[in-house]
Amino acid sequence: MSTIAHGAAATVRRKPLAGAALFVTTAVALAVGVALPWLVPTKIAMSLLAQAMFDALLATSVGFLILQNGRVSFGQAAFFGLGGYSVGVLIARHWVAPEVAVLIAIILPTLVAFLLGLVIARITGVAHAMLTLAVGQAFYEVVFRWRELAKGDDGMSFNLPRHLFGLSASGLQDPAVMMVLAWTILVLVLFALALFARSRIGQIAAAIRDNEERARFLGYSTMLPRALVYAIAAFIAAIAGVLSACYNGYIAPQMFHWSVSGFALIMAIIGGAKFIIGPAIGAVVLFYIKDYAGQFAEYWPAIVGIILVVVTLTMPRGVVGLAATLWKMRGR
Amino acid sequence: MFIQILNGIVYGGLLYLLAVGLVLIFGLREVVNFAHGSLFMVGAYLGFTVAAMGYWWGGLLVSVVAMAIVGCMLDAAVFRTLRKQDHIVTVLVTFGILLILETTVTAIWGKAYLTYPVPRLLAGTVDIGSSPFPIYRLFVIAVSVAVALSLSAWLRYTRTGLYIRAASTDARVTAMQGINVDRLSLIVVGLGTALAGLSGVVAGPLLSLSPTMGNYILIDSFIVVVIGGLGSFAGAFAAALLIGQIHNFGAVYLPWASTVLPFLLMVAILIWRPTGFAGSRT
Repeated sequence: MSTIAHGAAATVRRKPLAGAALFVTTAVALAVGVALPWLVPTKIAMSLLAQAMFDALLATSVGFLILQNGRVSFGQAAFFGLGGYSVGVLIARHWVAPEVAVLIAIILPTLVAFLLGLVIARITGVAHAMLTLAVGQAFYEVVFRWRELAKGDDGMSFNLPRHLFGLSASGLQDPAVMMVLAWTILVLVLFALALFARSRIGQIAAAIRDNEERARFLGYSTMLPRALVYAIAAFIAAIAGVLSACYNGYIAPQMFHWSVSGFALIMAIIGGAKFIIGPAIGAVVLFYIKDYAGQFAEYWPAIVGIILVVVTLTMPRGVVGLAATLWKMRGR
Repeated sequence: MFIQILNGIVYGGLLYLLAVGLVLIFGLREVVNFAHGSLFMVGAYLGFTVAAMGYWWGGLLVSVVAMAIVGCMLDAAVFRTLRKQDHIVTVLVTFGILLILETTVTAIWGKAYLTYPVPRLLAGTVDIGSSPFPIYRLFVIAVSVAVALSLSAWLRYTRTGLYIRAASTDARVTAMQGINVDRLSLIVVGLGTALAGLSGVVAGPLLSLSPTMGNYILIDSFIVVVIGGLGSFAGAFAAALLIGQIHNFGAVYLPWASTVLPFLLMVAILIWRPTGFAGSRT
């Protein structure tokens, strides 16, 4: 059986990157991040890259859930939106200090996902996909109808405070700064996820994914590691939501919409959900295809649909999986 | 009050037509068809186009037949090809089909809302108690009741129905008994999507037509299928009626919470019974 959800075992057992290689790769990626303003020529390209990073973070969140829990989520936008709305609403209303608003915006979705994870993680496969879709859409309905919260359907703009964590906050809306920030965060997130996959708890989560009953028989609690993976995934999605909301200075119910979840999932699958870096690669690839397809923007969903169908049928391990296969075949 | 209950049954009936299609397909192929809502939508547009030429009933027929053919193609090209893959792969492909269909419909008919006419035969209202009630809504109830009755009779009393129930319980063992499950699946998936087309046409005059009209009702029918227990026909029927009532009474008495109530109910039921009312086989 070639699978997306269950066949990830081999990848994790093989330990994707050995210790030293992981650190070196991360250091190089961070250095590239610092050099980005000199590498990327125009403001528009910078802005595109920054937004591609938001997509990459969200796709990484979805992919991590597949990789570590074997659960396919159609509702990850719930945590993306919750992060964005928390920071937007709290800053716009001055209820708390902006720094606190950012922290709440990241912690609240994480907590919600942990609690939901305790319930939802028991549901498997196709039912899980339907359930997460419905839960995500419930959040959408709430912000859509609740006009007093943030103007409902119209969305709400908000102004960033002058300073955030002692730094000038206006940088968050400067493409050059946001591009480097989002890149750095993405690299650190991927690094942390790679460490998690190698850690004891990560290995337990993988064991539960492969066979929950067996893991329970071995004496592990299966509830908490799974809920923890949900929380981590939501944490990443929330960061993406906060960055995106701050960069645009605008929040709208569309952040919660199931198409956002669906596209994030598609990015993860196209990139290759069996690899930690796969979803991020998929997001960047898709983002730039979308940019080149500019004049066909109207038909974009259909183009994505066709790419998705082709990729799932011809390369079940995604772009990164294909690259890995080609790499192994070199010189042969 | 009675009128409210009737309105709830109308929406519940539409949900049932969609949900039972999902259940049928799930039974044979163990996949959930994410494109089901967009087939509902395409069915409505096809029916609308024929109805606009003056043949309302012709539109109904065209839509049901066209969607049945699409369903057979879907089964042969996607479900059968991918049957050895993880089911979630198939689900993703149906999601891709959803995107393609929505964009295609937008390209052909545009994004604007369209109004589907009510057939002349069913225009007007009747008095129930002392309040008027559209005849067309009674027709919707009649259609869903007729489908529910004939479907359960078909499944219970015919040989094909017996095979379908057997294959829904265990497709592999059924195939071992010498039954061609692929051919069975062609019938079942075709029937399921034909019901989506029927539901789309019947719902047309009640909802306004737009390329995204299938999404909202798809999610509601997902809730119905999950609450009813994946793969249970009776469960889907009961859950559809329940969600129909909640949808309607919520809209009247608790407008601020109405859209969230079904979700809350679903989460509550899953905590209480993780496999839904009637249990599931996943």
